[in-house]
Amino acid sequence: MSRAVPINVKVVASESLYKRDVFRQPDPFAVITVDGSQTKTTKTAKKTLNPYWNETFTFQALEDSILVIQVFDQKKFKKKDQGFLGVVNVRIGDVIDLSLPNSEETITRDLKKSNENLAVSGKIIVVISHNSNGNSTASSGSRTAPSGPPNSLSNGNSATSASTNTNSGLMATTPAHAPQNNRQLSSFEDQYGRLPPGWERRTDNFGRTYYVDHNSRTTTWQRPTLEQSEYERGQERQNTTEAERRQHRGRTLPGEGPQSPMLTHSGNSSTNGGITVNSTAGNASLSPAAAVSMAATGGTTSGLGELPSGWEQRFTNEGRPYFVDHNTRTTTWVDPRRQQYIRTFGPNTTIQQQPVSQLGPLPSGWEMRLTNTARVYFVDHNTKTTTWDDPRLPSSLDQNVPQYKRDFRRKVIYFRSQPALRILPGQCHIKVRRDHIFEDSYQEIMRQTPEDLKKRLMIKFDGEEGLDYGGVSREFFFLLSHDMFNPFYCLFEYSSHDNYTLQINPHSGINPEHLNYFKFIGRVVGLGVFHRRFLDAFFIGALYKMMLRKKVILQDMEGVDAEFYRSLKWICDNDITDVLDLTFTAEDDRFGEIVEVDLKPDGRDIEVTEENKHEYVELISDWKIVKRVEEQFKAFMDGFNELIPQELVNVFDERELELLIGGLAEIDVEDWKKHTDYRGYQESDQVIQWFWQCIKEWDSEQKARLLQFTTGTSRIPVNGFKDLQGSDGPRRFTIEKAGEPNQLPKSHTCFNRVDLPPYSNYESLKQKLTLAVEETVGFGQE
Amino acid sequence: MSTKRIRKELADLGRDPPTSCSAGPVGDDLYHWQASIMGPPDSPYAGGVFFLSIHFPTDYPFKPPKIAFTTKIYHPNINGNGNICLDILKDQWSPALTISKVLLSICSLLTDANPDDPLVPEIAHIYKQDRAKYEATAREWTKKYAV
Repeated sequence: MSRAVPINVKVVASESLYKRDVFRQPDPFAVITVDGSQTKTTKTAKKTLNPYWNETFTFQALEDSILVIQVFDQKKFKKKDQGFLGVVNVRIGDVIDLSLPNSEETITRDLKKSNENLAVSGKIIVVISHNSNGNSTASSGSRTAPSGPPNSLSNGNSATSASTNTNSGLMATTPAHAPQNNRQLSSFEDQYGRLPPGWERRTDNFGRTYYVDHNSRTTTWQRPTLEQSEYERGQERQNTTEAERRQHRGRTLPGEGPQSPMLTHSGNSSTNGGITVNSTAGNASLSPAAAVSMAATGGTTSGLGELPSGWEQRFTNEGRPYFVDHNTRTTTWVDPRRQQYIRTFGPNTTIQQQPVSQLGPLPSGWEMRLTNTARVYFVDHNTKTTTWDDPRLPSSLDQNVPQYKRDFRRKVIYFRSQPALRILPGQCHIKVRRDHIFEDSYQEIMRQTPEDLKKRLMIKFDGEEGLDYGGVSREFFFLLSHDMFNPFYCLFEYSSHDNYTLQINPHSGINPEHLNYFKFIGRVVGLGVFHRRFLDAFFIGALYKMMLRKKVILQDMEGVDAEFYRSLKWICDNDITDVLDLTFTAEDDRFGEIVEVDLKPDGRDIEVTEENKHEYVELISDWKIVKRVEEQFKAFMDGFNELIPQELVNVFDERELELLIGGLAEIDVEDWKKHTDYRGYQESDQVIQWFWQCIKEWDSEQKARLLQFTTGTSRIPVNGFKDLQGSDGPRRFTIEKAGEPNQLPKSHTCFNRVDLPPYSNYESLKQKLTLAVEETVGFGQE
Repeated sequence: MSTKRIRKELADLGRDPPTSCSAGPVGDDLYHWQASIMGPPDSPYAGGVFFLSIHFPTDYPFKPPKIAFTTKIYHPNINGNGNICLDILKDQWSPALTISKVLLSICSLLTDANPDDPLVPEIAHIYKQDRAKYEATAREWTKKYAV
């Protein structure tokens, strides 16, 4: 039985539900879901612990379909736990036999707890039946026939209705000629036969097929084969994870050094549940960060001379130095000898000095720097300008202020030196089981306050020895990022641009707890940034922009959905009069139900015309990228901002933010070059040789920035550049001869391609390429 | 956007049906159509009627419809699953195209195959090397599956 058949599910009643409130009884209703894709809801029963619904719903189901019934309290549905009252999971094939012409079974099941572990009691009574009227293959076709042709066909449309008749005639008489794809395949098989046990075939929002392994709770684009044993698949998975782990450990940020230069051991011992190896004690304080961050992290203070009078240096129990000012009876982590003074040149040219700390933080997006003569100046990353004037003080005239230069390393040092990002005294203990890392981390991280989470992280894997001197928390963020972004949980999904950048799944609401999870994920991302640990996850460019509160534009669509982007671009570039029949609406496919959404008030009554088309393109891009996931994104940012204040993260641009969260991998230029294709050029051409020479001269961050410019992400496939993906499958990095020598290089992130004009000398190439990579902010570049 | 557009295309097809093609929804699902194409007279598919399934994505017409032959056909750009290799169904899609225009393009693909961008390299090879053999096989398949 591999064909979906209609089944009836009658939700009769529940009894003895858990009484969560002392003074009132719940208003229970049930949500019925089949295979996570078909959802129905009962009416709400009022004030009872023994609701009686007696409602019947029809679903399309297979033998292996899973029926999930959840009971909620309608009065509390807006609350955090949504008034959850219990859940039952039933495999259809365990209750009724779909191969029989008809059957009916009544079952009574105990309500079970959810992950939240809230107390639950009581039972639910359900009647499951099906009646396929004999031949089930004919039934689904004939079922629709008596209802008459749809409206669009009924106005005497002979041509189309005739063809429909012929079609159904053909279907009935020549089924043998129908190719395989005409047959409905269950999600446990495809045209190549059955999938291995525990595997399921699914299709995502973009129509791409992927495979879910329920044995290991993982997903893959590759079809599993029966020839490969579960053991071999496990080995393969482990090898990939190991390669990813190596890549993850090698990531750095400029000025902070590699995360684990001395880590001598492969992950084998740790994955076996034995001893976790840690040999990188306190590399944070050893890092060659500048004095500002040294002061913040407690670097050495010798050679600075005596403390000012009335000051004393003390040490915490953990050995961290702090400073006591007996004059004001205050304490601070900041060494007063490193205190920076701002010199302002007042109108009467007297020099005023004020300690930085008394002025409060700089405005959002501002950074303070020193010239090589130690003079303070200010960088406004919002406008990319510089000034001598402290934006917190009345201004004076600017003279000879240094030119604006984007400098990621300086930004990171400044960012780390901010008081809001200093580690608080004490420890934050998080204990998780390796194989339950998602749910355990959720419990551990959500039960603590943001202030607790800013204390020194002490991660412990259940049953494993090893103190967290850095290695354990690296492993923790590595494993957790793999699990929480796994599309299996429907919180995030892969963008259509390639197969690895992540975006928020607009239909994550299938999990009623989803907003709590997004807040949790936001906290984890913030926690990683705060404690200088990297996630092994990369988002679509637009999400980083949204995190910086920047406006999303049409170009950002390229990284979300390349096909959709091309059509919107077509609309912008062509006269659409009498060609397109659009209104200011969008259509959302919510588990098979098409819902029309107005893009602006009464949008469904407003035609899109040549005059207003740009407004439409802007609104639909905004809806696709931002509006559809507004709730989820807000929850995510609430969590993130609990650890990282918005005004501090705003010094970065979206590409830098990607590096701040995911770290910077060492890029193998030889491998990159080896897997590059040329169009109009040959590898031996002078311009191409200059291109690679220029890249070799660049530092890691500039290389990463070129990758972001051309591919939309700094991520490199775990097996190197040969596995680079474009919007339509594997796409090698490509350099095309295009443009005039006075123009900047352009990029096409859908195709991992850079258009490189034939520059006449090395300096010109280097200057133009640097400018393109530096100045074209925003991911999609056409 | 898609519902309105699909309804309009359906109405247009009724008002001004293209020669040798027809199309309409299967049952009451507006997003799933079936179409038929008559084999062009000047091709080895002459005399056959070929059926196709059309699935509209929710984002139609911003994304191309998914079209596949359900009748077996011997052609260098159409494979055993009925998938069609046609640029306007992929990266050359534009929202100005309609089902009617796409079906006409498929008709002309039947008359003029594109062996330089084949989906079935074996058929393309025969097409180029031994045109008579290709035409004989195509006629044979047409007779067997499409008449």
